[in-house]
Amino acid sequence: MSSASGLSFKLHPLVIVNVSDHYTRRKAQLYGSLSTAKPPRVIGCLLGVQSGRNVEIFNSFELKYLETEEGLTLDREFLNTKHEQYKKVFPSYDILGWYSTGIDVQETDMNIHKALMDINESPVYMMLNPTINHAQKDFPITIYESELHVIDGVPSLIFVRSEYMIETVEAERISVDHVAHITPAGGTSAATQLAAHLTGVHSAIKMLNSRLKVLHHLLLTTAKGEVPFEHSLLRQIASLIRRLPAIESPRFQDDFLTEYNDILLMGYLASITKGTSTNNELVEKFNIAYDKQGRRGGRAPFV
Amino acid sequence: LRTNKQTNERKGGGGGRMESLEAVVANTLALSSTFDDLSHLSSLLKQSEDLLVRNLDKLGDVLGALDAGRHSLACLHILDVLSSRVPVGSPDSGEVICRISSFINDCSADQIRLAPELFASVCHKLKDFVMTAGNLPIKAILPLQTAIRKIQPTPEHFTPQHADFTLVCLLSKCYNAALPILDTDIFEVDPKKTALTPRDFLLYCYYGGTVYIGLKRFNKALQLFHHAITAPSTVLNAITIAAYKKFVLVSLIVNGQLAQFPKYTPSIVQRSLKTQSQAYVNMGNAYATRNVEEVQRCITSHHEGFNNDRNLGLAKQVVASLYKRNIQRLTQTYLTLSLQDIADTVKLEGPRDAEMHVLRMIEDGEIFATINQKDGMVRFHEDSEQYNTMEMAERLDGEIHSMMKLAGKLTAVDEQISCDRAYLGRMSMRDGRHGRYADPDDFDHVGAQRILDPQ
Repeated sequence: MSSASGLSFKLHPLVIVNVSDHYTRRKAQLYGSLSTAKPPRVIGCLLGVQSGRNVEIFNSFELKYLETEEGLTLDREFLNTKHEQYKKVFPSYDILGWYSTGIDVQETDMNIHKALMDINESPVYMMLNPTINHAQKDFPITIYESELHVIDGVPSLIFVRSEYMIETVEAERISVDHVAHITPAGGTSAATQLAAHLTGVHSAIKMLNSRLKVLHHLLLTTAKGEVPFEHSLLRQIASLIRRLPAIESPRFQDDFLTEYNDILLMGYLASITKGTSTNNELVEKFNIAYDKQGRRGGRAPFV
Repeated sequence: LRTNKQTNERKGGGGGRMESLEAVVANTLALSSTFDDLSHLSSLLKQSEDLLVRNLDKLGDVLGALDAGRHSLACLHILDVLSSRVPVGSPDSGEVICRISSFINDCSADQIRLAPELFASVCHKLKDFVMTAGNLPIKAILPLQTAIRKIQPTPEHFTPQHADFTLVCLLSKCYNAALPILDTDIFEVDPKKTALTPRDFLLYCYYGGTVYIGLKRFNKALQLFHHAITAPSTVLNAITIAAYKKFVLVSLIVNGQLAQFPKYTPSIVQRSLKTQSQAYVNMGNAYATRNVEEVQRCITSHHEGFNNDRNLGLAKQVVASLYKRNIQRLTQTYLTLSLQDIADTVKLEGPRDAEMHVLRMIEDGEIFATINQKDGMVRFHEDSEQYNTMEMAERLDGEIHSMMKLAGKLTAVDEQISCDRAYLGRMSMRDGRHGRYADPDDFDHVGAQRILDPQ
């Protein structure tokens, strides 16, 4: 069921990075490198601003919770201290809701939700799905609201899904991008950064290529008549095609090809150099293994 | 013989030493199917060589009865005996040539690989036959090319037929026919599979270089002669001397100077080569003076020697290249020059000659200039290649790919040698002797795991 409250949710990337970082840390601390163990659940609090119908979630922090027989209970004291601290720095941020990791909503979640309802009358529940599914193209984040529905004559609170959008400021985008690209080896040297950058470009081009193939296939089947004519789609494709080529002048061609050839020349030089160095090593080894005369008189140190 | 064959089929073939020609045929027919049978057949055939020699006159019919495709091994043995007994230059040689050519075309590659030495000797005989008067060397070009392809395990292997093939192309002046074989780089040498001898390699380098000279691809000719000179050896070889003489002249044409011997030239070559080819060393010295008359004088004084080595044409090309080189040097000093001045500096006959030379050089791409015919001036330009065309991009792309392939091959050979017993033995001996700690970087290769595990 989708939400009928009419609130529009805006989510900032910082929150997503925080949640995934929290989950990864917890998992690493508990289980080390075991990947078959049961993934832990992490819980945290969402901070943001609600103005009228817009709910904008800016930040988040982690929460302590206790696991009891009935379920999970929050550590209220911790929550209050943290809230006050954050209020001092960001006076405009309120507690908008809470987040957790998992695949589906569970029964115990409602308890935590109700616990938060005394801070915020209608909290928001954000769920991050930590299982990595490469085939899935959508974001693994869902936002739930609570609504009072009458089921079997009993009014009860249930979770309903809501739509959300990702919103960001330029500074935030740059910093999140930078953080996301730090390689696991911890090196931010030029070589690893270049490799990471090129990998990013490569996967972007790959995705573009696959999307283009899908469009092309669609056009082919429409031409053959297997698929009914969809005018709006075709209009969009036509407008896309008319937007290319972006620049088409002989001077551009010249400059472009000059730069392209320069880079190719550098690549050529690099490959020649690498080949020459391999050759050099090979010759060294060959001389050691098979050279009967011994080039230098004494025993020269092997560099 | 047909009736004999039929009776033998009824009798069935016998193993062991074969006593008669019919037994040979029967065994061939029976044992030509699977690989084990073929090796058995091969050993049988080797033993019955003198039997074949005794029945020389009947061999022709036997050959006709067998199918070259299925019974290649037997045909090969028979052909070998047949061709070695027929004297070169006899009227039968034409027929032998036909037989050998058709055999090469029809034979099966797997079977002949069981007896590579015989195949090599048959091909050598073919070459000998076509070289005699009354026979055209051109007849042997296609058969020998097919022969190379059939006996090569991969296109990068070197075979003794390479040398024969290039010689035949050289004699028949069909230089372009040799190009497909000459242009493929050789990476593998396997004497066991191809019955190779070092002499084949030297011959191939020498003939191949001469073919490239005929095609005016002096760079590749230089490479091949270089291989011939630096091939490891302990005695001086006449082929090496001849190759060195051509090497001197070609390197004068290409580089303008005679380079020093590289470090890996065998010492015997380094010591004795210069004394053997004094005339050519003098040529090199004369060329270094950049004086056309000096070089001419050198040629006339050693005219006999050059003629005997058949290098007179090449020597004349050296003189032509000296003119070109002098004109090229002018481009570094002058921006414009009159044709008269060019003729005077380069010691040509007159401005007409100079104009012809410059025109030809512009066409060949050796110089960038424009001739103004009204006032007889020549303007020299820079290289007008801007490197901003699609063709250049494609060319660079192709070059990068081939370079990467070559680097991949080098890495593979590098890995191979890292795991080689001799190398590892020397390395451990060196460490043990010095008592130094083993430098872990030495073992930091891809094959490190294999080194650390005991055999």
